[in-house]
Amino acid sequence: MRGDVARLDLRLRRRSIIWYTVGLGAYAFLIVGLYPAFKSDDSLDALTRGNATLSALFGATGSLTSPDGWLNANIYANFLPLFVLLTTIGYGAEAVAGQDESNVLGLVATLPVRRRDILLEKAAALVVLALPIALVTMAFVVVGRAFELRLALGPVTGVTAGVVLLGVDFGLLALVVGVASGNRGRALGVAGGVAAASYVISSLAPVVGWVRPLRFASLFFYSVGNGQLVRGLSVTALVVLVAVAVVLASLATVAFERSDVH
Amino acid sequence: MQPAVVLTGLTKQFGGVRGITGVTIEVPAGGVFGFLGPNGAGKSTTIRLIMGLYRPTAGSALVLGADPWDHGAEIRRRIGYLPGELALFPRLTGREIVDRFAAARRLVDLGYRDHLVHRLGAELDRPVKALSKGNRQKIGLVLAFMHRPELLVLDEPTSGLDPLLQDEFAALVEESVAEGRTVFLSSHDLDEVQRLVHSLAIVREGRIVAVDTVEGLRSRAPRRIELRFAGSVEPGAFARLPGVDVVSAAAGRIVLSVRGSVGPVLAAAVPFEPVDVTARPVDLDELFRSFYREEEVGAR
Repeated sequence: MRGDVARLDLRLRRRSIIWYTVGLGAYAFLIVGLYPAFKSDDSLDALTRGNATLSALFGATGSLTSPDGWLNANIYANFLPLFVLLTTIGYGAEAVAGQDESNVLGLVATLPVRRRDILLEKAAALVVLALPIALVTMAFVVVGRAFELRLALGPVTGVTAGVVLLGVDFGLLALVVGVASGNRGRALGVAGGVAAASYVISSLAPVVGWVRPLRFASLFFYSVGNGQLVRGLSVTALVVLVAVAVVLASLATVAFERSDVH
Repeated sequence: MQPAVVLTGLTKQFGGVRGITGVTIEVPAGGVFGFLGPNGAGKSTTIRLIMGLYRPTAGSALVLGADPWDHGAEIRRRIGYLPGELALFPRLTGREIVDRFAAARRLVDLGYRDHLVHRLGAELDRPVKALSKGNRQKIGLVLAFMHRPELLVLDEPTSGLDPLLQDEFAALVEESVAEGRTVFLSSHDLDEVQRLVHSLAIVREGRIVAVDTVEGLRSRAPRRIELRFAGSVEPGAFARLPGVDVVSAAAGRIVLSVRGSVGPVLAAAVPFEPVDVTARPVDLDELFRSFYREEEVGAR
């Protein structure tokens, strides 16, 4: 495994990842820069107090004017995972199923590279694609210390790792479904649907009693939905997110080693 | 010398849909083997099995002495492949694609690759999506030939190439064979490949219907002979000859389709006082088409 397949796929996604990163970076800078204007706005906190369920659906819990509440409600609980998932699920569905549908996978699969290595290089490319958006956002959050957004570096690093792993997990889910079905649309649909359900479960768990026990089945809960911006990423959460990635990558490898390529 | 490709009872089904059934052929090393058949006959399916892209439903394939499904990476190092429906990454330029695939093949000496680019006139500086089919095909040929593989597997290689480039391609194939390499090429047009191939197989509806040399096929092909006589002629005198069919007969003229020796035909003609005889060359294409027509009749 020398990385030729991964580099090729990263080259193919270069333009989209640059624009996603620039877009979310600009948004993060805006949110960070606006914080001083809102940090003393009591009406924002009244919003979450008065309509906790609606607020929870947008990922906001607790005070919206605290540094972690502000960043959770505006970045970490929604937009950042959304952008990372758009990138990773999009690539996961395209990497095998999409490339096979457009007949370009055949050329790659006839290189002197083992199927297993092709798949592992694509999984590695997926990890790389999840990084820029999360890291640029983290950089602006760190810059936010100059705008009174004082958060410890450890938890910010932890939640960033959580978001990257969340994206990797759902990207790998799209990859598995794509390899097994050979259908890019199905891969997008299944991974997107499971991600949406996971988000809703994690968001509603704090305010809806019967949803609360289900939060352990939500990858959002392990990455951004359990106070990670303050407490950091727990070892348990890290193990779960990594274990899911290992299982999905293994499934995708086994399926790809058995599947026909056109 | 070990054959380059040995397929034994090779079968591929896609659910309930036919792919190929019981394909058995042996491709001698160091020659050009033509794999001929109409569109949808199973040529590309067979080629993808040879390349280890498809897993066989039954039967076996040995390519350069190894199973392409189990040992694909090792043997693909020694194979050059041009897919039938060549698709390249549309946003990349030809140069990016050629460079990346050369790197993936650990190609150190790029001289032959650059020679091929120049010789075929491959356009490398524009994105693939801006290229014509012929220009994309040139890039595909560079990718297939650039590492001087032992075996070239080319699926409809001249598709989209103009006549001058078809000649250049033929020269490239002849040079490869002269260097001891093997070429397996598919086509739906015997005319296009008959000057290149040494032996061939014809596939129809997923099954092999003929395996022969071009000379063997030629010897089996019918000649068309037209005889003119001073007086009337009796068609029955010719119809009863073995290997002879009467195509048409009129007063003083008869047209025959003759397989094998023409001696008995000439002997039968003498009593009717022939005044002229015309024999057309062996119609190889007609024989080839006859395999397809059988398919069409079978399909009705």
